[in-house]
Amino acid sequence: MNSLLEIEDLRVTFNTRYGEVTALDSVSLHVKEGETLGVVGESGCGKSITALSVMGLIPTPPGRIAEGAIRLNGEDLTQASEKRMQALRGGEMAMIFQEPMTSLNPVFTVGDQIAEAIMLHQKVDAAQARRDAVALLDRVGIPSPDVRAGDFPHQLSGGMRQRVMIAMAVSCRPKVLIADEPTTALDVTVQAQIFDLLNEIQREFGSAIILITHDMGAISEMADRVAVMYAGRVIEEARADDVLDYPQHPYARGLISCIPALGKDAGGAGDMLAEIPGVVPPLHKLGAGCAFADRCAHQAPRCAVDKPLLAAHGHHPVACHGVEEGWL
Amino acid sequence: MRDQDTNFQAESPALEAWRMFRRNIPALIGVAMLSLIILATLYGSFFYGGDPFDIVWAPQEPPGMTPEFPLGTDYLGRDLVAGLLTGGGPTLAVGAAAAAITMGIGISMGALAGYYGGWVDNLLMRVTEFFQVLPALLFAMVLVTLFSPSLFTIAMAIGLVSWPQTARLTRAEFLKIKQLEYVTAARAIGARNKRIIWKVILPNALPPLIVSATLTVGVAILFEAGLSFLGLGDPNVMSWGLMIGSNREYILDAWWPVTFPGLAIFFTVFSVSLIGDGLNDAFNPKLRER
Amino acid sequence: MNTSFLLRRLGYGLLLMLGVVVLNFLLIRLAPGDPALVIAGEMGGATQEMLDSIREEYGLNKPVAVQLLLYIGNVLQGDLGESFFFNQPVSSLIAQRVLPTILLVITAQVLSIVIGVVLGVLAARKPNGVMSAFVSVFATIGYAVPVFWTGIMLVILFASIFPIFPVEGMQSVKLRDASGLVKALDILHHLVLPAFTLAVIYLAQYARLSRASMLEVLGSDYIRTARAKGASPRSVLFKHALRNAALPILTVAGLQFGNLISGALLVETVFNWPGMGRLAFESILRRDYPTIMGVLFFASGMVVVANILTDMSYRLADPRLRGKG
Repeated sequence: MNSLLEIEDLRVTFNTRYGEVTALDSVSLHVKEGETLGVVGESGCGKSITALSVMGLIPTPPGRIAEGAIRLNGEDLTQASEKRMQALRGGEMAMIFQEPMTSLNPVFTVGDQIAEAIMLHQKVDAAQARRDAVALLDRVGIPSPDVRAGDFPHQLSGGMRQRVMIAMAVSCRPKVLIADEPTTALDVTVQAQIFDLLNEIQREFGSAIILITHDMGAISEMADRVAVMYAGRVIEEARADDVLDYPQHPYARGLISCIPALGKDAGGAGDMLAEIPGVVPPLHKLGAGCAFADRCAHQAPRCAVDKPLLAAHGHHPVACHGVEEGWL
Repeated sequence: MRDQDTNFQAESPALEAWRMFRRNIPALIGVAMLSLIILATLYGSFFYGGDPFDIVWAPQEPPGMTPEFPLGTDYLGRDLVAGLLTGGGPTLAVGAAAAAITMGIGISMGALAGYYGGWVDNLLMRVTEFFQVLPALLFAMVLVTLFSPSLFTIAMAIGLVSWPQTARLTRAEFLKIKQLEYVTAARAIGARNKRIIWKVILPNALPPLIVSATLTVGVAILFEAGLSFLGLGDPNVMSWGLMIGSNREYILDAWWPVTFPGLAIFFTVFSVSLIGDGLNDAFNPKLRER
Repeated sequence: MNTSFLLRRLGYGLLLMLGVVVLNFLLIRLAPGDPALVIAGEMGGATQEMLDSIREEYGLNKPVAVQLLLYIGNVLQGDLGESFFFNQPVSSLIAQRVLPTILLVITAQVLSIVIGVVLGVLAARKPNGVMSAFVSVFATIGYAVPVFWTGIMLVILFASIFPIFPVEGMQSVKLRDASGLVKALDILHHLVLPAFTLAVIYLAQYARLSRASMLEVLGSDYIRTARAKGASPRSVLFKHALRNAALPILTVAGLQFGNLISGALLVETVFNWPGMGRLAFESILRRDYPTIMGVLFFASGMVVVANILTDMSYRLADPRLRGKG
C-alpha cells in the first residue's frame, strides 16, 4: 500500500449527557500523494470529526479515539505523543477551516500569523519568516502582499481571509492538506478561485488533499476519489466519476440528485436535502439497523435490525442491504 | 454532537428555572442560611431578650467564659449576642431597601434609555457615566453626613450611588428585546409606549434583573456595614457594622467583638450570593454545561 | 491611536469633572442649614469672622448662579477652599495625601489583576478541575467578605501572632529620617498588608472573570487554528487565547477603579494609611466639608483619568477599534 495517509477502522466516541455515543464507527479511508479525496455528507455525519481526529484536535474529554489507527507515512498518529503531534500539525499535515471569518486570530496581523506557522516548523529567524510569509501571500494571490501582511484579519474580505488561511496551511509544504468546507462561507465566484488555488498548490507541492464538503459540485471539480459518510460511517466509496455517475446507496443517489442546485447558492451545511426527507438521526438514537433506514424510500425489514457493512457489491464498495441483495 | 431532540413539551421558563434552582445544592444552602439569619434577627431578641446598648458585664469578657454571655462582651461590657441578634435587622432592612431603590432608579433609567434611544438614551447614559465616575462609598459618605445619618438616608444614599450598573444592564436588555417580533406585534396592535415598556419588554427582561437585584442586596449590605464601620451609621440603632466600628480601636485587646459581627455579615452576603449564582444558573441553563 | 479620539476623550473627561464641581456646589446648598455654617463645619467652632470670610469667598450673598460661577472659577484656579479644621488650603492637604493613595490603589490593582488572571487561566485549562472549583468558591467568598473586616482580621493576625508585617501607617517611626532605598523598603514593608487586603476581593473577581473569558475564547475557531498549526499548549493559552480574553478583563479593570478607591478608603482607615481615604474619614468625623468635597472632586478625577487610560489601552489591545472614531 503506497498510501500517504491511511485511516483504519477508526472509532471515535464522545461522552454526552446521554452517555457515551459513537461519533465515528469503523471508518477507513486512505489518500495517496498528489491525490484528492472528497468526503461528503450532511452536517453531523462525521466528516469534520474525521478531519479533527487526523489532526489530533478532537476535544478530549469529552471525545476520545476508542479504536483504530491513523497512519501518516506508516506512523500511527493515535499512538503519537502530544509533542510529536505538535511537530506534525502545521508541518507534515495542515488544515483549512470552514469559517475564514473567525478562524484567524483578531489581535495579530495576518503576516505574524503566517510567520508564526513558519517559525514553529522551520529553523528560520523572524525576518526570514516574515519574508516567507509575504511570499506566501503573494503566492495565494493577495495583491500588494507586503502591505497586506501588516493587516489585521478584520481588514480583509472573507475570500482574502481564506487565502490567508491557505497560505498559513501550506507554509510548511504539508504532505496532507485537509480542507474542511473551505468555500462554504464564501461567494460562488470566490469559491471557484479558491478551488483553482488549491489545485495549483497541489500540483506545486504534491500534497494529498482531503476535501470535506456537502457540495457535490465541489466534488466533481476537485476530487479523484469520493467517500460518502452518513451518521459516522462511510457508506460508499469509489472513484469520483463512479460515485457521481453510478451512485449505489440511496443516500448517495439523493445527494447526487441535488447537483442541479450547483450554480446557484448551494445552501448552508445544515440545509435539509430536497430529495431526501428527514434529517440525520441524533447519534445517541442510533439503533442496531441501518442509520439511513428511516429516511430511505426502499426500506426493507432487514434494514431496521441489521447494520449493513461496507463491501464491494457490483460496481464499488457500498454499505446497503438493497444493493447487496440486488433488489435496489 | 448537538442535541437535536426537541420533542419534549416546552415548559414555561419560570417553571423550568425553578426546577433548575431546586436541584442547585449551593443555592438551597444559601436559601436555608438566609432564612435562618432572617428568622434569628426577627425573633431572636424576642427569645433572648436584653437591650444591645445595655452595659451588662465587665468589658471585653472573652467568649465562652460566662454562660450568660456565650460570645462575650464588647469594650463597654455590652452583650455581643444581643448585639448580633438585634444588629441584623437594620443591616438587612437597609440592604433590602437600598437594593429596591437601586433597582427602581436603575431600571427606570435603563428602560427609558434603551427603549427610546436617540437623544434620551444619550442624555441618560451621560448621566449614568457621571454617576459611575463618583467613587460610590465616598459619595455615599458625603450624602449621609450632609443629611445626617438615619436608616432612611443611608438606604437612599446607597441607592443613589449604586444604580448605574443596573441601568446599563436594563438598557442592554431593552435594546435586545425591543427588536423582537412580539414587541413589533404589540406596537402593530396599537399598544402605547408606556404599556410596551412595562408590560411587554420588562417582564421579558426580568431574569437577568432578578439575578442582579439579588447581588445588589449583597452589595448594599456590605455598603451599609462599611458606612457603619466608618461611624456613619445611625448611632441610635445597633447594627453589625456599628459593632465592628465601635470596637475597632480595641481589636488588639479583644478579637471577638469585631470577629463575630464580621462573620455575621459574611454569612449573610455569602448566602445572598449563593442564591444569586443559583438564580443565574437557573435562568441560563446553557451556562451550566460548562 | 488617533489624536482626535484622545482629545475628544479628554474633553469629555473635563466635562465630567465640571459636573462633579456643580454637584459639590449643589450638595452644600441642598444640605439643611446655612451654607456658611456647613462649610465652616460643625466642629470648626465657627466664629462670626470666619463665617463672614466664607460668605465673602463663596459670594453667599450673591445670586446662586453667580455663586456657582465663582465656585467654578475658584476650582479652575486650583482653589478647593480652606479646611477650617486643618487650617490649610484643601488642595495642599490633598497634595500631601494623594501619593500614598495612588501607591496603594495601583499596587492593589496590579496585584489583583496579575494573580487573578493567572488563577483564572489555570482554572480555564480544566473547566471541571480542582482549580476551577477553587476559583469559584474563592470568588464567592471574596465577594461576601467586608473589606474592612478582612483588614481588621489581618491586623489582629499580624500584630499579635505573626509580627512580620507592620499593621499601621506607612513608615516606621525610627526610620522616619531614612532616605533612598531604606525608606522605599520600609514603605514597601508597610504596604504589604493594606495592598493585599484591598487586592483580595478584586483578585477573586478577576479570577472568576478571566476563567469565564478564557473558556469562551478557548472555544473559538482561531484557537483551533493555532493548535492546527502546531503551537504548543502554553503558546495557545498565553499568547493566542489570553490576548483576546484580556479585552473584557481590561474593561472591568477600568470600571473597577472607582470601587477600588472606595475600598481604599476603608483599608486606609483600618491600617492608618496616610492617604486621601484616611483624610476623608477624618474630615467626615469633623464635618469638614471643604476637605470632603475636595477629596470627592479629586477622587473622581482619578477615576476619570483611569477611564481614559483604560479606553486608550483597550484601543491598543483590540486592533478592530484602532483608527475608528
